[in-house]
Amino acid sequence: MYGWHLKILRVNLTTRKITTEDVDPQVARDYLGGRGWAIYYMYREMDPAVDPLSPQNMLIFATGPLTATPAPTGNRYMVVTKSPLTGALAHSNSGGDFPTWMKRTGFDMFIFEGKASEPVYVWVNEDQVEVRSAAHVWGKDTHKTTDILLAETHPDARVACIGPAGENLALMAAIMNDKHRAAARSGVGAVMGSKNLKAVVAMGNKNPPLYNPEGMREISVNTSKNVGADVKKGSNMRIYGTSYVPQVTNTLGILPTRNFLQGTFEHVHNIDGDALKENYLIRHTPCYRCPLSCGRLTEVPDGPYKGKGEGPEYETISSLGTGCGVSNLAALVKANYLCNEYGLDTISTGMTIAAAMEMYEKGVLSEETIGMPLRFGDHDAMIEMIKLMAYNKGFGKELAQGSYRLCEKYGHPEIAVTTRKQEFPGYDPRGSQGMGLLYATSNKGASHMEGDVAYEEVFGVPVKENPLTTEGKAELVKHFQDSFALIDSSGLCVFVAIRYVFDKNRIIWPQTLAAMMNLTTGAGYTPEEVLKAAERVYTLERMFLIKAGSGPEWDTLPYRMLHEPLPDGPAQGRVVELDKMLPDFYKERGWDEKGYPTKEKLMELGLPLA
Amino acid sequence: MRIRVKLIANYRSALPPGHKHGVVELDVPEGATVYDAISRFDIPLNDESVIVLNGLTVDLNTPLKEGDQVTAFSAIAGG
Repeated sequence: MYGWHLKILRVNLTTRKITTEDVDPQVARDYLGGRGWAIYYMYREMDPAVDPLSPQNMLIFATGPLTATPAPTGNRYMVVTKSPLTGALAHSNSGGDFPTWMKRTGFDMFIFEGKASEPVYVWVNEDQVEVRSAAHVWGKDTHKTTDILLAETHPDARVACIGPAGENLALMAAIMNDKHRAAARSGVGAVMGSKNLKAVVAMGNKNPPLYNPEGMREISVNTSKNVGADVKKGSNMRIYGTSYVPQVTNTLGILPTRNFLQGTFEHVHNIDGDALKENYLIRHTPCYRCPLSCGRLTEVPDGPYKGKGEGPEYETISSLGTGCGVSNLAALVKANYLCNEYGLDTISTGMTIAAAMEMYEKGVLSEETIGMPLRFGDHDAMIEMIKLMAYNKGFGKELAQGSYRLCEKYGHPEIAVTTRKQEFPGYDPRGSQGMGLLYATSNKGASHMEGDVAYEEVFGVPVKENPLTTEGKAELVKHFQDSFALIDSSGLCVFVAIRYVFDKNRIIWPQTLAAMMNLTTGAGYTPEEVLKAAERVYTLERMFLIKAGSGPEWDTLPYRMLHEPLPDGPAQGRVVELDKMLPDFYKERGWDEKGYPTKEKLMELGLPLA
Repeated sequence: MRIRVKLIANYRSALPPGHKHGVVELDVPEGATVYDAISRFDIPLNDESVIVLNGLTVDLNTPLKEGDQVTAFSAIAGG
C-alpha cells in the first residue's frame, strides 16, 4: 500500500499491553486518515457516553496520508478524544516536527487506552515500543520534560508531552510538542493526564512508499513555488505570523475585547504584529518542511517579564490580550510563554480569566474569593491566575474548569461566551455572521479551525463575503466544515492548504489536494470523492455527539451573542441572527429540521443507521 | 474634505513617513470615491487586497464623506 502504512499502534496503559493492528484498505480510503480514521475507531470501539477523564476514553494521535510526504506543510497530526471541557469531541491539530517523526515510526496512528497505575511515558522507536516510568518528570514543565526525555531516549527523537496543567486535569490543558507547538483545544492534555501519560517520544525511518514519487515531488515543488512567490512579495504570514490580524479584526469591529463586551480595543497598536516585530521578534521559525514559516521566536530580554519562546499568535493576543483588556505587550508575551510551559490552551485560558474579570468588575466575584483584585487590564493578576490554573491552586481550581462552569457556579451563565462549553476564539460573530453559525454547529464547540469562514468574511480568501449578512452562509459554513475535515484528515496545515492547495473558484475546491492524495496513495480520488469522504467524517462525528449527549440541543450561541448588541465598531447594534441560518444549514447537511442526520443521508454516506 | 486611510501590516510600507499606527489623513475633493482615495497608494487593487470603508464591505465606487476611513490589507492570510 502507498501513502498510508495501514498500521496502528495500540497501547493499553492499564495492562501495558502493546499491540499493532492492520487497517482495512477500504476503511483507509473511505475515512482518509488523521481525524477521519480517529472517529471511525472511536465510534466503533467506545461508548460516547463515557466520562472523558475515565480510563474508558480513547486518546488518539493520528497522522494523515500527506504527513511526512514532500507536500508543503505535510507535517501535521491530530489529537482526537472525547473532550472533558465540552463533553463533545476534541480534535486538536498541531505541526512542528513531532507529527513527521511519529509517522516515520511506521505507524499512522497511536491509540492510548486505559490508565497507567503510575506516571509513564511511551517511547516509540519504530517497532521498539516501551512504556517507561515518568515519575522523574511528573510535575515538570513541557520544556524541561522534553529536554530530559530526549537525553534519555535519543537526541534526534521528538517529544509530545503535557505540563502541570494536564497532570492537574485543567479542562483547557494542551498537549505540547517540540516545546512550542500545541494540540491546544478542548482539554486534550487533561485526558492525557487522566491516563497518567506524561509524554510520547517518537522517531524512526519508515516513510511509506509514495504511489508516484516523481509526480508528488513535482506538484509539491510547484505549490511551494507559489507560496514562495507570495513570501517574496511580502506575505504578512511570513513577516508577522498571525500577529498582524488584530489590526484587521479591530478594523471590522470583531476583535474580542474585555470578554466580548466590545468589538474594538483602543490600545490595539500596543500589542499588534508591528509592536511585536519592533520590540521582541528574533526570527521566524518554520514547522518541518513549511515554506510559509509563520512561527515566531521572540524574547523579552529583561525586566519582570523576561523570557524567551515562541509567539504570541493572533488567538493569544485576542484572548490573553484584548480579551482580558491587557495592553502590556511584554506581560502578554510572558503569559504566552507560561501557557506553553505549563501546557495550557491560550484561548480558553485567556477567555476564562476574561469572564472572571467581568464578574469581578460587576461585583459578582469578590477580592476575597479570588485572592486579589482582578480588573480588566491587570496583567500581573492575569499572570498569577495562569499559574494558579496550571497548578490547581486557590481560585485557579475554579478557573481550570473553564468559563461555562465558572459562570454557572456564580449564578451568571450569561457572562460565559462559549458554545458546547468551549470558549470563543478571536472573531466576534455579531460582526461575522457565518462564524456564528460555525461556532453554533461545530463538533468541537466554538472553534475557528472547524471551518474558518473568516477566510472569506474577514480575509477575502478566495473572495470577500460581506460578514454582516446571513444569506448563503449555511452553504458556505457546510462547505468549509467539510473542507477543514478534509485538511485535518490529510495531514496538511490549514494555512497553506486553503490558500495554495485548494483551487480558487467561487468557492474553495480541493482539486490540488485530491491530486496530492492520489499521487501519495494511488487511491484515485476525484475532488468530489474526497469532499464526500470529509462529509462522511463530519457526519459520523455528529452521530458521536448525539450519543454523547451533545447533540442538536447544543446548536446554539451564548446569551451575549444572541441578545446583547455590539456597542461599538462597524457591527454596532448587531447580534447573531442564528435563526435565519440554522434551518438552512440543517437542509444543506441533509439533516432533519431538528438537526438529526436523516436515514437517507446516512445511507448515502455509507454510515451505520443507529 | 478630509478623510483617513489606514494600511495594515505589510501595506504600511506604501504610506509616506510620519503616519501614526498606519493611518494618514488626506484631503480629497467632493464626490471622491473609495477607489479615488486608495488608488493614491501603491497597493494591488484586485482580489489580492481587502478594502473596507469604515470597516464595512462596500463597492469601490462608493462616494466618500467627511471623516470616513478607508482601510486596506493584503488578502494573503488567515488567523
